[in-house]
Amino acid sequence: MKTKVKATFLFCFFLLLSCLYANSQQEESTTLSSNSDAKIKVTPEQKEKYHLKPVHAQLYFDCIFCHEGQGNNPENFEAPDEEVCLACHKSKLYLAKRLEFMDTLKANPHNSVHDGPNLYCDECHREHEPSVNMCSECHLKEIKNNIWMKATP
Amino acid sequence: MKRPIIFILLLIIIGVLIGVSISYGTYYGINKTGSENFCVSCHEMDSVVMSYKDDVHGGKGELGASARCVDCHLPHDSLVNYIYTKATTGLAEVGVHFLGNLDEIDWQEKRYHRQFYVYDSGCLQCHGNVLDNTLSSSSKQAQKMHKHYKKLKGTKKEIKCASCHFDAGHKGLRNFLNYYKPEYSIYKDKMEEKKEEVQQKYKRYGVEVDEE
Repeated sequence: MKTKVKATFLFCFFLLLSCLYANSQQEESTTLSSNSDAKIKVTPEQKEKYHLKPVHAQLYFDCIFCHEGQGNNPENFEAPDEEVCLACHKSKLYLAKRLEFMDTLKANPHNSVHDGPNLYCDECHREHEPSVNMCSECHLKEIKNNIWMKATP
Repeated sequence: MKRPIIFILLLIIIGVLIGVSISYGTYYGINKTGSENFCVSCHEMDSVVMSYKDDVHGGKGELGASARCVDCHLPHDSLVNYIYTKATTGLAEVGVHFLGNLDEIDWQEKRYHRQFYVYDSGCLQCHGNVLDNTLSSSSKQAQKMHKHYKKLKGTKKEIKCASCHFDAGHKGLRNFLNYYKPEYSIYKDKMEEKKEEVQQKYKRYGVEVDEE
């Protein structure tokens, strides 16, 4: 009789175990063929010279994410077209919509009274050097004192 | 010989009944505390709920399908981890709600830490095949980025779904947060108007309306 009780206990125990781990997902194998990636050698000096914005650095982007099809010498890379930015950042209208609350005072930098949602990204945003704020060319005080805009990311 | 068999059978039946009722109770509790209605009952969540209701994940899509808060904000790799995280974060939230200073919560700052409370296992629970680059619907750009994700997975440089999909689940969150607590002082009056407007609009979702 004792064996029966033991067997019941064991059965219940395994049932519990299987329930607990039924949801555990198997990790997918992550081996990838990387033959399409061009091999680009970036020296530590170049990395220092062309550092990324924190928002992009934390995603560990390689140079060719933006400089695709520009050869394999980082010194010869040129600023990519804005389509490259918008491949991830969707569209200028979308970006304007993200700062919609600023429209209430017509101060949305992505939808300003002067240019609407039509500015080129690099008129303000720079990747490898400090960004600039084009609005500050006229609205210097407001920008400087963080009255309606922070530093351009 | 007969008696012990009856006794064991009875024991098993009672055991099963107790087991089923306890697991049903647990399931019911977990399910009830996983709905957005439960989450919005704490009003510091108002702008989070509004932006969720404005997103495809909140049922704004063509089919009306929606994800629940817990679908993204709890890990789905194992049931143990799910329940453990639910219990610990739940207790922390309750503590903040009753003992913390709710006006001091820096929601804007929290947007930058989304990787820590949006779980990839949750995303993949619904978007199961999204990393399969043979899908016809994934664009060239998506394939490139998802390949990058897979390359970094398991390394020190691991990134999360929410690292790139920064506003998934909460469309226009920054706007809603600004209606409640403007980032710049000059918007104060305008944001009061906007806040009233959105509070009326989202009232039916349990959003608290300021009565003044």
